[in-house]
Amino acid sequence: MNIYKYASPTMFYPLAGKMIPWFAIPAAILFAAGMYVGFFIAPTDFQQGDAYRIIFIHVPAAWMAMFLYVLMAIYAGVGWAFNARLASMMASAIAITGTIFTLLSLVTGALWGKPTWGTYWAWDARMTSTLILLFLYIGFISLQSAIDDTRRADRAGAVLALVGVINVPIIYFSVQWWNTLHQGATIRILGKPTIAPPMLAAMLIMLAACWLYSMAVVLIRVRCIILEREQNASRFAEVNA
Amino acid sequence: MNWPDLSMGGYGFYVWGSYIFALILFVWEIVSLKQRRRALRQQQREQQRSSSVSPSVLTGSANETTS
Amino acid sequence: MLRWIVWRDLTLAWRRRADMLSTVFFFVIVVSLFPLGIGPETQLLRSIAPGVVWVAALLASMLSLGRLFANDYQDGTLEQLLLTPQPLFMVVLGKVLAHWIVSEIPLVLIAPLVGLQFDLPRETLAILVLSLLVGTPVLSLIGSVGAALTLGLRGGGVLISILVLPLYIPALIFGAGAVEASIMGTTPAPHLYLLGAFAIVSLIFSPWATAAALRISVE
Repeated sequence: MNIYKYASPTMFYPLAGKMIPWFAIPAAILFAAGMYVGFFIAPTDFQQGDAYRIIFIHVPAAWMAMFLYVLMAIYAGVGWAFNARLASMMASAIAITGTIFTLLSLVTGALWGKPTWGTYWAWDARMTSTLILLFLYIGFISLQSAIDDTRRADRAGAVLALVGVINVPIIYFSVQWWNTLHQGATIRILGKPTIAPPMLAAMLIMLAACWLYSMAVVLIRVRCIILEREQNASRFAEVNA
Repeated sequence: MNWPDLSMGGYGFYVWGSYIFALILFVWEIVSLKQRRRALRQQQREQQRSSSVSPSVLTGSANETTS
Repeated sequence: MLRWIVWRDLTLAWRRRADMLSTVFFFVIVVSLFPLGIGPETQLLRSIAPGVVWVAALLASMLSLGRLFANDYQDGTLEQLLLTPQPLFMVVLGKVLAHWIVSEIPLVLIAPLVGLQFDLPRETLAILVLSLLVGTPVLSLIGSVGAALTLGLRGGGVLISILVLPLYIPALIFGAGAVEASIMGTTPAPHLYLLGAFAIVSLIFSPWATAAALRISVE
């Protein structure tokens, strides 16, 4: 069986359609399981009380924001290097989901910050880097939507995503540097509460749930993109026939 | 199974607020995708009605055309 | 080839001297707005000076980036440049160098005057100039990637800003950090070294990315 035929958008479309329920349903189940373990089994934290339970959605969201950006850059790079249209479409499909997780990470981080540190926004290294990640996602989406020619949009996005991915460690390092310089006299107790096994389990289950959800949603979106491009192509062909 | 303190020790707004916001985002994403797909399928049907030849992912023909 | 490109761009820029000056005026105006908005209290101004001057430099650079490739793109010269047997890397490097001389060096030169508005001591003014001298190449280099990607697109200047400003952040942190260290009395050396390292990395990688982006935008 030739697996490379699925590199063609036309062939991938029905395959993707069949795959979606296999991601969506386990995602829903794992979300329920994660919430159960997180709220019914994990104990109340000694330091932070019940407010810590936000981490079961905050930490997975933050990780997904990072993973998806890297995945997006890889797909975009592959699409550019091998002239593989489907890979570029996957990159474009991932972008919005990545932005949503980044936004979720920022908001839940702020809601976690208020009860634990007393302020919604504390300019710590991790949250500031996440904010910059949001800007990078928005840049990618803005660039692609400003370019009408899909081929140019795919490739330009690839350059931007690759430049971004190389810069992310540099940005993170510089933000950490900046943060330690400006700590000042107040010592803040940041970070997660002491991890009891049920807490870790709940976080991992929720992370898996977010992964599966992302896969399902990205596949749905890439099918829309395939349809859109095909329609544009046939309209183009008709006009020029 | 022990029922958790639903007020979350007074932090209910923050904890439930986070999960509700997450739910809103996920629902928005799924609903907007469904709308996008519905609009595209409708356009496709209109296109197929007006033109005779249109190889499509939905009719299963695997011709590689001018894409 | 490199020398020829730099000379050509400098000559063209000289014929449009007003553009050069407008970048500097923008820089000065933006910096002056902050005390007007915040208040004239000297202690406060001294503490915000590094950040304000650096952010103003970032913004002024953004404005000048649009001109980097646009004029050549419009009259077809860019396409010709892409066809030459010379490596595109060198062409890009030449244009970026010219841009740095025309748009960034004036900022470096006027920085001491601007720093006086914030009552910075003399040693700090020197560090300010040094940080900008080391940091502005980064602004031109990374900015050129954004300029190349957005060639011919509507939304122009704002789009470049959205793409490039996040990538400027390390330079901002190290550059402003150096000036701030000088105000505090600690050594600015680590900041300047990191800024220099970032500049060298940009010098090696950005022209390559810009060249790739140019090919993508022009074809």
